[in-house]
Amino acid sequence: MPLGLLKYGINSDYPFDKEADLPPPSDLQARYDVVIIGGGGHGVATAYYLAKYHGITNVAVLEKGYLGGGNTARNTAVIRSNYLTPEGVKFYSASVKLFENLSNEFDFNIMYSQRGQLTLAHTDATVRSFRQRAEVNKHYGGRTELISPSDIAKLVPTLNLNPANLPVLAGLWHRDGATARHDAVAWGYARGATQRGVELHQLTEVTDVLTHGGRVTGVQTNRGVVNAGVVVQAVAGHSALLAQKAGFKLPLVAYPLQAMVTLPVKPFLTPLVSSSALHCYVQQTSRGEIVFGGGSDPYPLYNSRSSLPLKESLIASAVEMFPFLSEMRLLRQWAGVTDMTSDYSPIMGLTPLENYYIDAGWGTWGFKATPICGKTMAELVASGGKVPKLIQPFELDRFSRFKQVNEMGATAASH
Amino acid sequence: MKIMNCPLNGPRNISEFVYGGQVKAMPDPMRSSDSTWAEYVFYEKTEIGLVLEWWLHSPSSYWFIAERHNGSDEITRTFAPETIFCDRVDFKTSEVPA
Amino acid sequence: MTRLKNDCFGQWIDTTQPKKFTFEGKVIQGFDGDSVASALLAHQVWVQSRSFKYHRPRGPLTLCGQDANTLVQSPKTPNLLADRVPVEEGLQLSGQNYSGWLSFDVSRALDWFGRFLPVGFYYKAFFKPRGMWALWEPIVRRAAGLGTSNLSVKAAYTDKAYLFCDVAVIGGGPAGLHAALKVADGGAEVLLVEQDPSLGGSLNYHAFCSDLKKTQKQRDALISKVFEHPNIKVLQSATCNAWFGDHYLPVLQGHRLFKVRAKQTILATGSSEQHAIFRNNDLPGVVMCSAIDRLSRLYGVIPQDPLAVLAGNDLAYNTAFSRHDAGGTVVAIIDLRAQCDDQKLRAEAEARGIAVYAQCVVYEAKSEWGTHNLSCVDVHALHHDSGVGQKIASIDCGVLAMSVGYMPAYQLACQAGALLQYDDASAQFSISNLPKGMHIAGSINSVFTLLALECDARNAARAALRALDIAVEERDETVDCRERVNHPWPFVKHPKGREFVDFDEDLQIKDIVNATRMGYRDIQLVKRFSTVGMGPSQGRHSALPTARLVAKATNRSVTQTGVTTARPPLTPEPLGLLAGRRFHPLRRTALHHRHLALHGQMIPAGSWQRPAYYGQPTDRRSAIEAEVTSVRTGVGLIDVSTLGGIDLRGADAAEFMNRFYTFGFVKQPVGKTRYAVMTNEQGVVSDDGVAARLSEHHYYVTATTTGVDQVYRDMLKWNAQWRLDLDITNVTSALSAVNLAGPSSREVLRQAGCDLDLSPEHFPYLAYREATIGGIPARLMRVGFVGELGYELHVPSPLVGELWDTLMTAGHGHGIRPFGVEAQRLLRLEKGHIIVGQDTDGMTHPNEVALRWAIAQHKPFYVGGRSVEILSSRPLERQLVGFELTDVSPQPMEGHLVIREGEIVGSVTSCEFSPTLQKIIGLAYVHPEDAGAGSQIVIRTESGVCAQARVVKTPFYDPDNARQSL
Repeated sequence: MPLGLLKYGINSDYPFDKEADLPPPSDLQARYDVVIIGGGGHGVATAYYLAKYHGITNVAVLEKGYLGGGNTARNTAVIRSNYLTPEGVKFYSASVKLFENLSNEFDFNIMYSQRGQLTLAHTDATVRSFRQRAEVNKHYGGRTELISPSDIAKLVPTLNLNPANLPVLAGLWHRDGATARHDAVAWGYARGATQRGVELHQLTEVTDVLTHGGRVTGVQTNRGVVNAGVVVQAVAGHSALLAQKAGFKLPLVAYPLQAMVTLPVKPFLTPLVSSSALHCYVQQTSRGEIVFGGGSDPYPLYNSRSSLPLKESLIASAVEMFPFLSEMRLLRQWAGVTDMTSDYSPIMGLTPLENYYIDAGWGTWGFKATPICGKTMAELVASGGKVPKLIQPFELDRFSRFKQVNEMGATAASH
Repeated sequence: MKIMNCPLNGPRNISEFVYGGQVKAMPDPMRSSDSTWAEYVFYEKTEIGLVLEWWLHSPSSYWFIAERHNGSDEITRTFAPETIFCDRVDFKTSEVPA
Repeated sequence: MTRLKNDCFGQWIDTTQPKKFTFEGKVIQGFDGDSVASALLAHQVWVQSRSFKYHRPRGPLTLCGQDANTLVQSPKTPNLLADRVPVEEGLQLSGQNYSGWLSFDVSRALDWFGRFLPVGFYYKAFFKPRGMWALWEPIVRRAAGLGTSNLSVKAAYTDKAYLFCDVAVIGGGPAGLHAALKVADGGAEVLLVEQDPSLGGSLNYHAFCSDLKKTQKQRDALISKVFEHPNIKVLQSATCNAWFGDHYLPVLQGHRLFKVRAKQTILATGSSEQHAIFRNNDLPGVVMCSAIDRLSRLYGVIPQDPLAVLAGNDLAYNTAFSRHDAGGTVVAIIDLRAQCDDQKLRAEAEARGIAVYAQCVVYEAKSEWGTHNLSCVDVHALHHDSGVGQKIASIDCGVLAMSVGYMPAYQLACQAGALLQYDDASAQFSISNLPKGMHIAGSINSVFTLLALECDARNAARAALRALDIAVEERDETVDCRERVNHPWPFVKHPKGREFVDFDEDLQIKDIVNATRMGYRDIQLVKRFSTVGMGPSQGRHSALPTARLVAKATNRSVTQTGVTTARPPLTPEPLGLLAGRRFHPLRRTALHHRHLALHGQMIPAGSWQRPAYYGQPTDRRSAIEAEVTSVRTGVGLIDVSTLGGIDLRGADAAEFMNRFYTFGFVKQPVGKTRYAVMTNEQGVVSDDGVAARLSEHHYYVTATTTGVDQVYRDMLKWNAQWRLDLDITNVTSALSAVNLAGPSSREVLRQAGCDLDLSPEHFPYLAYREATIGGIPARLMRVGFVGELGYELHVPSPLVGELWDTLMTAGHGHGIRPFGVEAQRLLRLEKGHIIVGQDTDGMTHPNEVALRWAIAQHKPFYVGGRSVEILSSRPLERQLVGFELTDVSPQPMEGHLVIREGEIVGSVTSCEFSPTLQKIIGLAYVHPEDAGAGSQIVIRTESGVCAQARVVKTPFYDPDNARQSL
């Protein structure tokens, strides 16, 4: 029995209020040095790093709904760095490293579990692309390799190696791949930030961005005007809409991304398994539920409704991969709204407004980047606008310069 | 799932259709600035409301335009492209060597 | 035990058809019509499962699948609800989630350590020092999970079907029956969906009045009318599991998933009886009043144990009286209220000898030491402010039936966007903001009395008919229902806790309240932090009490607090039903069987099947080499039917080509071919092929196998905007093609009976001709392809088999060999030809792959042109070049990286050992400074071994391109 739990049993009415993870609602101040729009994982992570590592605590995180209630609550919790481009691999590898120690960093168990992630290749073209990804990963110190069908059979004995007439030719085995309790990541960061003086304001919606002379001066919210020295926007699906209020455009299209989960069963699957051709991936949480994720919805929509055709094709793919799943029961399906870029890489850094910074374009690949986003965005703010090298390739300007960072092959159905 | 009313084929399940992007006006490809052109290529109209979109009825390879609310997913009208693309489009020609 | 079987009791069971099954190894005899749970209860087996966290023994709560206290498993399937599994002869079932036996689960120890495991305890521990979680996780994983999946089970048969109707009525209880009849009488087509094996709903078991027979007769009459009505189709044992846009409804029935498209939906799905929250309210034996009603009326089971009733409304009294009428012992009614709404009830109870404890509460339920079932309840006085007073009595009872309120079955409505409003006066939720075309009727609409309910149902029917543009003359009826069913605060906090709010997740009052104290105040955060409502019953019973507790704890109204989002599916649905029968069509060319006959090893190319090579897998290398050699020295034949083919015809065909592809086509002579490469709007090379000009107004252009469908769609989309005068047709399947390649190909073609003058003067390189070959009409092209004299022949698909045979026969004397995709790749690589999609990626623009020559610089427009221009003005960051390996080094493979000064600068896109040139050749992206011939590049191969390669100009083979122009 972990000794840390003893204290709860000794006192029959433990003073949870005094040790609350999150503070009760408070008034909005008239001004903050830093206003972060968006109380999802990225937003609170940025606040955390600002407070803990840069001593900047006059910070308010404004969240229109509840903490982490956007895509942080809805993603399928895949942490990996097996991308294709050097820029992407460097970036995500840094995030994986931060994740490895995150629970201890902010003293909150995110149930980080490095179970490895396996992606299946069913065509020669995919095998080629996987080989390249393995090489790029290895170049930057990652543990990723191309493995054969017989190796796959040993790793995942329950997997059907000939699903849907598309025999598995090889697998991209990414030992660094992991999963975690996604909500806990937001809570841990929020707790760490608010304990250091950051203010978290939920049910606080930014309705307009106030600018003057090429700078942002503050934001209009449903609770009044808040002035700000610096503003960071981290609102995922609604990024382009918010940016428009700030007077500039973002090259984003909002697509729903659906996921679903079964009733829990005793453990039978350890690695996270994904099939490129079937657009399906499968993992078992520590609670025992099987989570399924797939490709984005076929057309844009600012709405997190679920649909039947996507569920049918996703589950059909899952049952092809693991035939015995046919006897399991689906418990729930949900969706999030994802802001997709044309190159499947994020948009981070500067905007046309001098003191307004952006963290957007996270599409279906945002959760795994939570720690490194918080860290680099905090550096950006703390340095007064000096863009950290790691995120320079993801600048907004890259589109007007036709200098995209193409991660499409490394994304679909492996978020 | 939603029903889309194809101007050619009538109401069909939306799974029979392919989304083809927003209807965007192309700036003059020869005379517009680089930044205007980049904006055309990478950006689209951003708002929650009625948008005009290209849709293809896949089995019959028929392209048409739909006006859809991208928040409620309500499709308010669909029509043949000729409705707004009435005239032949010409690009200013210059001498074209063989 | 004996069952009560007459008109009103045991309605669903057939006592002439006993059925035996085993539970936990014990043989139980039930009857046809029993659920597993009812049969077990008939044998006084109340303990049917163990709870998730504390492993407390659990038994049925609702007896209709609304709760998850009866999760059992079969050898094939985990997580079955025993109260929804019909008894079958030979069924083998056991409990789940225990260590030891269902009757003695050692994991119950967790219950005793409960005080050390507050809500969210796992976030506070198990991770220090660093790496601890990796040790704890396997233990937690093994403790979690409910059933065990059978990893070798074979999928059972399932299928899917479509149904269409005007109005879908969900729920065949009194409201649904009346609504269905009203709609059907109005002339619309109705689909009535009922979850139970028979229609009737609450009419089957609920005592609407004391004359049960009267209610039954009304019910029988309604049901007959429904079945006889030509406009009504009935599905029983069918669950409507979700509402999707435009009234698209998945209905699960047995092995079938119905996909129902309705124009209007009427939800008559009823409401879920809610539980009272007191210490040990989870003991087997503590049930809903509706459960006891169901148990006796549907299954004829009258538990012998004394029954006590906990009443928060008048309805509870009906249960007590019904039971008393059926001959059971009713020891007490504990009423939370000071008065009943119906004054006569207390007197009747007294007359029946049932003690009534007014304004009292069950403070604690108890079981005897060593047993798991309820044995008695402690009754305390209740103060006006809901404070608990002193103990009044201890009542021995084996069953406690509670009725303290109902929650509308809001899930389908809320999935569709409806909202829940809480009314403090009536203490219940109601549904508002229904989407267009959805109507509700009955107890889901907070209408509980039969007469009122009928009016409500008919109103809903009228609304649906009007929405269908069917004229309805009558006015809507007034719905007058004064029944108060919800008690505002059925909670009794106990210092020792275990007053369960959520049975699935073992969450008690303090867990919910403490979550808010820890700062998780929003109902969504309470859910995620405590996991309330995340179990199998998805909040059916925990949503209402949680909303009330959180509202109080955070000083907000219940409406403001709300419940968590309703999401599909309504009930857990088998994955096999969703997956259905799956078909994996393959596209075969018209030559498929010839390939098989020649031992072609088929591989996928997009959705097509193509032969990779011909021969045995053990001889793969030598087969490919032999095919390559044949083409270089003699003649080979390859099936290229999968390459797309598009016909463009009309006055503007050339103008269209000019705008769609990068090259110039307006002045392309008739009878000539031209390389056709296209860029997308971002300037990225996206497809290529060959364009032949058949006449002034007729082009025929090929595309890549996997790209042609998109090319065709793009063409149509552009012309929808340009409105040029031409017709575009995708003839990929209509025409099939072969390529006859090799120095002997001219001779073979002549011998095959081609009626064309094949001399190089009359049919030069890059020309297009039309002719017949052995009588078969063909389009002939001379193109680069594999770099030898060769002819690409396109013929109508039904005739390509004959063409193949003719060519193979004619080529016999020249040693003709069929060659496949592998040889084709190798041959083309020897000529340095790029493969779009392999040697190009999502960012490759023409300058990077030396395709500048294929761009007509002075065209006013082509798709992607302006973008290409912008890209061209920037310095190149990489360039695709040919390379060869000089020493005996490890062969690089596609995907291996090109390294320069320790950095990644590019990668290998194609690489093969060339039997023609006897060296390793390939294409790779390199740093622009290394792009010149003679440069040295470093390729990191398998296991990190670096290979030194040299950049060379392409083509590798026949650099002057003489052989293909013969």
